[in-house]
Amino acid sequence: MKIHVQIMRDQLASRGVAAGDGQCGAMLEFGGVVRAEESGRHIEGLDYEAYETMAQAEMEKILQSLAVEFPCKSVDVQHRVGRVPAGEASILVRVEAAHRTEAFGLLSAFMDRMKRDVPIWKSAP
Amino acid sequence: MRVLFFAQLRQVTGVPAADLVAEGVTAGALWSLLLERWPGLADHRSVTRLARNGVYAGADDIFANQDEVALIPPVSGG
Repeated sequence: MKIHVQIMRDQLASRGVAAGDGQCGAMLEFGGVVRAEESGRHIEGLDYEAYETMAQAEMEKILQSLAVEFPCKSVDVQHRVGRVPAGEASILVRVEAAHRTEAFGLLSAFMDRMKRDVPIWKSAP
Repeated sequence: MRVLFFAQLRQVTGVPAADLVAEGVTAGALWSLLLERWPGLADHRSVTRLARNGVYAGADDIFANQDEVALIPPVSGG
């Protein structure tokens, strides 16, 4: 499985799922988006910080381990750090696979593991 | 060793990183040194994981002066 992980400060860009290379029957793209509400109060955005070298390595390690159970063709993860305005994505995960079952499985399991183990933190300014 | 503090732990210590002399110590001994210098970390110890050189430390890990140690409070990415 081809794995690409990136931690970046720029606004994340969706590639969409309208066209592929004809080898994959499933293309998923998940965006985790900052909501304008945190603990019942309005917010303009969230600040994200990361232990970047470890966060990148942990995400790659998690994806490598999940590839056994959910063999997909590729997965591309972008996580943003710094100020992320409400309405913009803090994470984009794009998965390509032969079939939807492994694509959905990988995406769901990755997000669960990511939220448990990857050293990234958000805070409301 | 270089010790890194993130998120709320950086607010507790007041610094993002600090140098600490600790050679051949267990996680328990390292915590004792950390709490001696930053007593406020005590409230966070039960939910804080240690990473050694970018990898979560195991129960049997021994920490050395050349290590980069990170204190990892509960994460909240995504």
